[in-house]
Amino acid sequence: MIELKGLTKTYAGKNVVDNVSLTLDTGEFGVLIGPSGCGKSTTLKMINRLVPLSGGRIILNGDDVTELPAEQLRRRIGYAIQSTGLFPHWSVAQNIATVPQLLKWPKSRIDDRVDELMAMFHLDAAEFRHKYPHQLSGGQAQRVGVARALAADPEVLLMDEPFGAVDPLTREVLQAEMRRVHQQTGKTIVFVTHDMDEALQLATRIALLNGGKLVQYDRPIELMVKPDNDFVREFIGQADLGLKLLSRRWVHQYQREPSLEHHATHPGLDHCWQLDDAGRPVALEGARLDEDHEVTEVKPEWTATPGMSMKEALSRMVWYRVMVLPVVDDAGKLIAEIGMQGIMGIQAENGTQAS
Amino acid sequence: MMLARSAGDRLIGNRVLLTLLVAAFASAILLPFASLSPNRLASGQPVMLWQALPGWQLTALALIGLALLAATLARPLPQRTSLWLSLIATLPLLGLDFFSLGDYAHRALVDASPAARVSQGATFWILLFVSALIAIDALQRLRLGLVKRALFGAAALVVIGVCFSGDLLSPLSIMREFANQKDNFVDQLVRHLLLVAGALIPALAIGLPLGLLANRRDRLRNGLFSLLNVFQTLPSIAVFGLLIAPLSALGRAVPWLGDLGVSGIGVAPAIIALVLYSLLPIVRNTYSGLAGVSPGTLEAARGMGMTSRQILWQVEIPLALPVILSGLRIVTVQAIGLVVVAALIGAGGFGAFIFQGLGQYAIDLVLLGAIPTIVLAVIADFTLQILVTFSRPPGTR
Repeated sequence: MIELKGLTKTYAGKNVVDNVSLTLDTGEFGVLIGPSGCGKSTTLKMINRLVPLSGGRIILNGDDVTELPAEQLRRRIGYAIQSTGLFPHWSVAQNIATVPQLLKWPKSRIDDRVDELMAMFHLDAAEFRHKYPHQLSGGQAQRVGVARALAADPEVLLMDEPFGAVDPLTREVLQAEMRRVHQQTGKTIVFVTHDMDEALQLATRIALLNGGKLVQYDRPIELMVKPDNDFVREFIGQADLGLKLLSRRWVHQYQREPSLEHHATHPGLDHCWQLDDAGRPVALEGARLDEDHEVTEVKPEWTATPGMSMKEALSRMVWYRVMVLPVVDDAGKLIAEIGMQGIMGIQAENGTQAS
Repeated sequence: MMLARSAGDRLIGNRVLLTLLVAAFASAILLPFASLSPNRLASGQPVMLWQALPGWQLTALALIGLALLAATLARPLPQRTSLWLSLIATLPLLGLDFFSLGDYAHRALVDASPAARVSQGATFWILLFVSALIAIDALQRLRLGLVKRALFGAAALVVIGVCFSGDLLSPLSIMREFANQKDNFVDQLVRHLLLVAGALIPALAIGLPLGLLANRRDRLRNGLFSLLNVFQTLPSIAVFGLLIAPLSALGRAVPWLGDLGVSGIGVAPAIIALVLYSLLPIVRNTYSGLAGVSPGTLEAARGMGMTSRQILWQVEIPLALPVILSGLRIVTVQAIGLVVVAALIGAGGFGAFIFQGLGQYAIDLVLLGAIPTIVLAVIADFTLQILVTFSRPPGTR
């Protein structure tokens, strides 16, 4: 648990962070967001004391951070940054082992931990262990950077715009991986970004800052449906609010039993799936925007998975012009379906359900 | 139309090699290969290549020349084969150059007076440099790895070593000077090296911390670099001159310093001047090496809980090392050259031969000092270049 109490940072008489107080519970994914110069990075760097505090207190799991020796404190806190900051003269394995080395872990334990982390980030140990940072792609380097930050099993992970410098495609993959790693490890994470979509993707708590002041600190859904003021409303953007809401909803929340025979009595539900022997969907009868009974071949591109966001599911429905998507498990078996009605259902329960 | 010719139509594939061959050929026709003089100090009679070499050596030389000429052509040999041919051909060219000179000296001195001397002429030097340049050019174009380069270098050293090992070159004037000065030569070599080491060790001991300080304290940096720049611009002879008065006064005023050898001339002013000259490159390269470490790397190091000392030794110094060693390379080569000048104030080293030879107008004695100095500088440069390469992170070499 991290508590910021009246946190203040003054540069040349100006408060760049001004009396910020918030509490992040263990296991939460907190995102600090705001326009440039709002003090989000400064706030983050005060937690591991890379920036000294001008006023206020930071309590990390009951300890006042200013009362611990700085190096000792930092070894309890993972730190990942935009430029990765990997050591160019050390191999991937040595880079990941940095903090365990500083903590003087025995070698066998370090080796095991490095292997474990490389597996967690889908980096083939045989291939990558002995590579050097300049031999990695941007996405691989960033994975190594995050793996290194997690190496000594820190109490908190601080991330300063870690995906700001990678291409959009890689960024999406890394965001999905980060969500998975957060679920797997249950780490408390403080994450700085200026990208609201990224914040909505990842956060369980969002702190919106402006001019050094905390404007609103809330769950992502609340921030969208109950903005405290116009600044919050503008910063989130109103044009695609519906889509942003959908990006915080998951298919498994809205899927329903798949229709395996025609129900002529239910308008709009008049469709059914054809399955192969293994239970995989091969074709969809009906549910097209144009013709009711046309048979459409099921392609992997327009199937959904339970963990997919509703925004992505909607996007696939629009793109492939179908009213309903098959929801499949890892083996490709049909387990449910998700339809336009499911998406409309979300709007009806605005704000009542937090994810 | 001529400009539009495609690469496939070109007759000449390697213009650098052709230029070198033309230069070698012109010098072989116009300039003497050796000179024969009645004694050590008199100026010699020029001896042209065709006068000095017997028929079979001229034939061998012509064959090597033809092989190299074939290597300049775009066809029929493939480019890499041509480059290998030119590279390999430099070894017999090098050997023949030395052998013919020694062989000529043996024959020419049989019925001359004991005081007569044979010296190498312009064509000998030009053939030597042309073969070195052909080899360097071919090595670069072939993009050979460090191991193959080193192997070729070793082969060239073996050729030169064989030429120097027997009696082949001993009748040459410069080798006679060497024989006369043999004990002295080793002394001066040791002295030369000691002066270089004596200057570099204190220069590193002072320069490395100053470079670190320049990196840590922005305000100090400009003043420090201006001061060191002043040292760098002073002519070396002027510095030696300027140091005479204060150092002799110091040596007299503090007797134990005088006992240690501190005086207006000799080793003390030489080392002080060399240290001053070495400081700027060391400080500047240490500073820029440290400044070149990316801020992200340093922030990550700090953020992960490394102490300042751990960051310095495990991150900053290893990453700055290639640049620091480049600085060391500059000052080592520079110091090897400057020690020659220090012989003027009695510090010794190979410069002693040079100034002695200049005084006596014995040009071969000058060469006895100059050539080893050049060889030392080349060896130091090459060795430190290898160290620089290996100090880079693996894979970026």
